[in-house]
Amino acid sequence: MSMKRVVLPLCAALALGLAACGDDEESGGDGAAAAAAETQASPASGTGEGGKVKIAFSAPGADHGWMAAITENAREQAEKSGDVELIAAEGVTDSAAQADQIETLIAQKPDALVMLPNEGDALTPVAQKATAAGIPVVVIDRALSAPGASRSFITGDNYGIGWQAGNYFADQLKCKGNVVEIQGIAGIAVTEDRSKGFRDALKRRCQNGIKIVASQPADFVPDKGLSVMENILQAQKQIDAVYTHDDDMAEGVVSAIENAGREDEMFLTGAGGSKAAMDRIEAGGLYRATFLYNPSMSASAITMAKMIVQKQGFEELAEPEVPSQVTVPATTVTKENVGDLKDLGF
Amino acid sequence: MSTVQGAAPRRGRSLPFKLPARSGLQEYTLVGVVLLLLIVGAILEPDAFLTSDNMLNVLRQASVVGVIAIGMTFVIATSGIDLSVGSMAAAASVAGGQLADSGSLMFVLGALGMGVLLGGINAGAIAYGKVVPFIATLAMFTMARGLGLWMSDKQPVSIFDLEFVRWFGNGEVLGIPSAAVVFLAVTALAWVLLNRTPYGRYVVAVGGNREAARIAGVNVRRIVFSVYVISGLCVGIAAILLSGRLASASPIVGNLYELDAIAAVVIGGTALAGGRASIVGTFLGVITFALIFNLLTLMDLATEIQQVTKGLIILAAVLIQRRER
Repeated sequence: MSMKRVVLPLCAALALGLAACGDDEESGGDGAAAAAAETQASPASGTGEGGKVKIAFSAPGADHGWMAAITENAREQAEKSGDVELIAAEGVTDSAAQADQIETLIAQKPDALVMLPNEGDALTPVAQKATAAGIPVVVIDRALSAPGASRSFITGDNYGIGWQAGNYFADQLKCKGNVVEIQGIAGIAVTEDRSKGFRDALKRRCQNGIKIVASQPADFVPDKGLSVMENILQAQKQIDAVYTHDDDMAEGVVSAIENAGREDEMFLTGAGGSKAAMDRIEAGGLYRATFLYNPSMSASAITMAKMIVQKQGFEELAEPEVPSQVTVPATTVTKENVGDLKDLGF
Repeated sequence: MSTVQGAAPRRGRSLPFKLPARSGLQEYTLVGVVLLLLIVGAILEPDAFLTSDNMLNVLRQASVVGVIAIGMTFVIATSGIDLSVGSMAAAASVAGGQLADSGSLMFVLGALGMGVLLGGINAGAIAYGKVVPFIATLAMFTMARGLGLWMSDKQPVSIFDLEFVRWFGNGEVLGIPSAAVVFLAVTALAWVLLNRTPYGRYVVAVGGNREAARIAGVNVRRIVFSVYVISGLCVGIAAILLSGRLASASPIVGNLYELDAIAAVVIGGTALAGGRASIVGTFLGVITFALIFNLLTLMDLATEIQQVTKGLIILAAVLIQRRER
């Protein structure tokens, strides 16, 4: 069989594939044709075995469900795509240790690096090292502190969570009432953003109609949420709604309210999108909504890294390259739409 | 109200030396602090603070760390330390949660069993393995946390249906929260153990002067072993209280409980170097911190103020202790 006989049909397939790309209806065929186009366009795209794209992955040690889901989602996505070879480091909770691990990973000469830094500042130097070595870096959730240290950044929208929540409260309470805010760990960007978004939205919609009568941190853990809420319930005789920064933490807050028998007095919202929260929202009652901050972003990060290595962009967008920042929206989850979103629960 | 300071025991073996009795200044100071807090609170938050509802709330909240602190008193009395209590509480809670389907009794046994098991590992490493308590319990601090996360697959287990456990954490006995009753009962038992039994005297003697105690015939190794098991047992009890209150067995609870427990023990008059221990002091120390947390949250003060206040009180307590010597 001469080369010409192989090349001609392949070019035809390529042409068909590109034509099919423009047709939205055949999204299934779209993907398959695009995949065919991918592998034909860059057959030796990865340095992993069998030409797979070798991606190094590093995330902090999982000390709660969200972080565990990050690592799991990344692994699953790598397996699902079939042309990714994932080399992952064991999760550690110390920034210096994570930097060391990433150095070790870089030494294995991956095609790309996907990382969720324990702390953005501390992990910036090692990211710069990778970038300088020609390894594109995709960062998840926590920003690095130097421009150019990473190729792409995918994050959730902490401010957006607050903003959506504020608007939700404005609608539900018709801009009147007493609200309690249970925050995450005081002083970190996540907490500050979720708080600011909330307050800005309330200010914008209701001016001073809704009063935040208490605002205390509960460190993203349920036992602190429990004690803090118990004390606030003592101080506040009328609470109309509770805004919490996290679903896990909200479980403790809910326990406090239920123990005091005041679940009919108020409603509560969480953030993150945990399975437990979605179950509660579906059942109805005190827990009315949550706002997504989904660990699915690590799966997207793996895909983005792969596409960067294979020199592709998002097909439906006009630009030929993968965007350098993707902010995943903080979708509001209520009883109305929880059925559709349950799969994302972690 | 009494402290034990290795005074020559009347029964059992007698020590070859007599240690001076203490004035009990520490506890009197603490009673004063508690009264001061009550007065200040009544002035600043007249409607919410000094109500019976709130006071019972404070007692209930103090119970979990309180029970742990009682166990910690024994450990510190031997001049040891247990940094793993918070993580062990999470692990014990999770262990119980894994057995939740088999009912409340199994939950309780699971939690207590895990607490005693992990405490026993600490005990073995320290008493027989000769590992320094700080290091051994630091290792357990991470191991227990990891164990809890692993057993639970990082997900909390709802124990909403375990009525007994939930009552244990949230119920009431004659109007007093059951958690507080447990705390008081543990405190009373510990007081008797430390102040009215030879065992208690040996514990303090080991902390005061290990070599002298050994020469006097006290089985130092066994005493040291036992206090970490006591700590583990207390952690198990605290884990049941906590899970009952939360209606869930969660692997991410218990953060920094060890620091709260140690702080309460220290300001209560038990010396970190060992040799002097006060159960009543620990009890008052726990109540003091619970009152501060409660008052500052009622006033909706920023968390930074709470933390600085807590630190200043610990410092003041330690300075008073130094002056006494």
